[in-house]
Amino acid sequence: MLPKESAMPFTRRTFVKTLGIGGAGVLAARRDAWAGLADVAGAAPPRPLLLHNNENPLGPGQAALDALRAALGEGAPAGRYVFTRIDELHQAIAEKFGAKAENVVTGCGSTQILRAAVQMFTSPTRPLVAGELTYEECAGYAELIGTPVRAIPLDRTLKLDLGAMADASKGAGVVFLNNPNNPTATLHSADAVGAFVDRVLTASPDTTILIDEAYHDYVTDRSHKTQVPAALANPRVIVARTFSKAHGMAGMRVGYALGHPETIQKLESWEGSNALNVAGIVVANASIRDQARLEAESDRNTKARQFTIDWFAKAGYSATDSQTNFLFVNIKRPAKEFREACRARGVLVARDFPPFEKSHVRISIGTLDEMKRAAQVFGKVLGVTAKAA
Amino acid sequence: MQVSRRSFLDAVGLGARAPLSAALIAARGREAALAAAMPFAAADSAADADEIRISSNENPLGPGRAAMEAFVGAFEDAGRYPTNARPSMADLREAIARRQSVRPENVALGSGSWELLRTAVRLYTSSSRHLVTASPSFESPEQMAQQLGIPVKRVPVDKDGRLDLEGMAKAARWSGLVFFCNPNNPTGGVHTAKAVSEFVGRVLRESPETAILIDEAYHDYVTDPGYATAISLALEHPNVFVTRTLSKAYGMAGLRVGYAIGQARTMEAFNRWAITFNQNSLSVAAAVASLADPAHIEAERARNTEVRAFTTGFFQKLGYRVLPSDTNFVLVELGRPAKEFREACAKEKVLVGRDFPPLEKTHARVSLGTLDEMKRANHVFTAILGK
Repeated sequence: MLPKESAMPFTRRTFVKTLGIGGAGVLAARRDAWAGLADVAGAAPPRPLLLHNNENPLGPGQAALDALRAALGEGAPAGRYVFTRIDELHQAIAEKFGAKAENVVTGCGSTQILRAAVQMFTSPTRPLVAGELTYEECAGYAELIGTPVRAIPLDRTLKLDLGAMADASKGAGVVFLNNPNNPTATLHSADAVGAFVDRVLTASPDTTILIDEAYHDYVTDRSHKTQVPAALANPRVIVARTFSKAHGMAGMRVGYALGHPETIQKLESWEGSNALNVAGIVVANASIRDQARLEAESDRNTKARQFTIDWFAKAGYSATDSQTNFLFVNIKRPAKEFREACRARGVLVARDFPPFEKSHVRISIGTLDEMKRAAQVFGKVLGVTAKAA
Repeated sequence: MQVSRRSFLDAVGLGARAPLSAALIAARGREAALAAAMPFAAADSAADADEIRISSNENPLGPGRAAMEAFVGAFEDAGRYPTNARPSMADLREAIARRQSVRPENVALGSGSWELLRTAVRLYTSSSRHLVTASPSFESPEQMAQQLGIPVKRVPVDKDGRLDLEGMAKAARWSGLVFFCNPNNPTGGVHTAKAVSEFVGRVLRESPETAILIDEAYHDYVTDPGYATAISLALEHPNVFVTRTLSKAYGMAGLRVGYAIGQARTMEAFNRWAITFNQNSLSVAAAVASLADPAHIEAERARNTEVRAFTTGFFQKLGYRVLPSDTNFVLVELGRPAKEFREACAKEKVLVGRDFPPLEKTHARVSLGTLDEMKRANHVFTAILGK
């Protein structure tokens, strides 16, 4: 009898070779291979540089690709996949954090979980507290369901004003803390967040603190630590994470949150895992176990980020201390003007972020090569090519 | 390095092995777990290579080859939000619009139709404006109403399992939303275009503030010549809209693609409430390809119709009444509790539908698998039903 591999039309090794993804330069080569495939399919003209949505430019890693391929080729009976694998995914996430499956909820991106938290823990009489400039999902949803929002302006360094947010937390349903904060890219240290949590829970014991760590894997500041341990210990703390950023799976729509079983149960009761798709579950299951790839992605991002920060600094523009895969840069002119000029030259940067839309722009970090190309465009648009070079 | 599309698809096992690979996407068994809000593990507890899973009204063959190729081809964009992916969510909206001869503004996307049913309950009901649904019918709207503390009026289906149009029209007065599942799950019966149109006209006349959700999840399986989609009614009235899903005939239950059709302003409201990025980039590609492949759906309908006739005939020969079905399942009046029948079948590795109160003491729902699966299942049914 033939070994299983030989019975397949292609062995895994052949598959990898076919796609040109063995050996060095793996990821870049893979992208070319997929691009080649798309060309054969008659798809798509060249695309602009996508530096507007804080995506991972490389997509999911090799393990994720292999997992999806295996799932598609396996030939097991229909229906076995999603049900077993969602449990596996919850278990794998739990293990990564030394928790149990009952501490984990998954959603269609972390956005769905952020909404569930606002749904379950706020009301018309229990407001949401959020930064005046932070990820808008919670405030947007609060407005939809009629929950008042206490919007707290950033401090002078464009960081979330933890003191003012704590002061505003009394009687609130949810305090939303995005750390690092999108779109300002700034971070609060583990000590600062710990003190903030204590202060809020002392002032307002029934308030739930929702900590969104979407960009956790891109942080390089050593004062940072995840708040997952606090979430596991305290029913009033939730930590949300996503596969959309460092895991490179924005298109697969999987996010998760960790917390106390009671709290997780409440989040789960709202919409469950019903919006998750099978491909996302399969790919997330592989990606969560692939710590090496996460670290490689973080290193890659750090280098490209530093290059971009340095370029802007030399050109005379300052960015906040980014701990993410994007920069918030003071370009001393309206974002709209800059954005439209960049777009005309094939580079997309982010939309307006009031109240800073007259001076700041958010630029996502692509590959180093992409950032070099983008820098040439930024130079032309800002009129600083010579200085920067 | 360039790879040919063909060699790539062979490499992922989609060449000669297409039927195997679709299993992931079809995700049979999902509907039961969702509708009953069962934990996923429970739904899968009996998962086994030899079992016949005819419990959840999903296409046993999964999507067609065009969809599978598109799905795999889209992996290039797995890292891109579905708004940036190629094709994008906007492209999917356009593909649906093209398929239904409407404008993209008339389309709202959902993570399966499940999300859209929930949104409809939110948009149109309140503590003083109740939900009207049939009993039994698909439970998602009712479950959402319960979560929000909204009153529900349940109107029993008639003896053939059809929606009681008279009863529902009466219950619709002063209601916020009428959930009109046509054909109705789990009973299988369909109402003609004329009957639906008269019902809508009457409700809008007698209760002008009431919205009507016409769920056409099983549209592609209908063979009744009097039936037609209610999309034209949805385009005509701001408070009427139609939902569809790619989880049934399109065979993509695992990918979570549903949509609603209605007036632009109505769809705007759905989009405002939608889960952010409620499509994934691979599903978008698969859905766009599927919608451009109507022949696959025609073939699936023909296949299902044959299996439906075979299965209906089988139960009738055994002396059981089968409610008229225009879907990919049949509700059989067994005169014994569904639970008893289901558990006996499960022992023989045949999984049939869960309880559907208030008919759970007498009726069992059997989804239609492949003809081969149904032939094998019938041996088990014969042994259990003892005739």
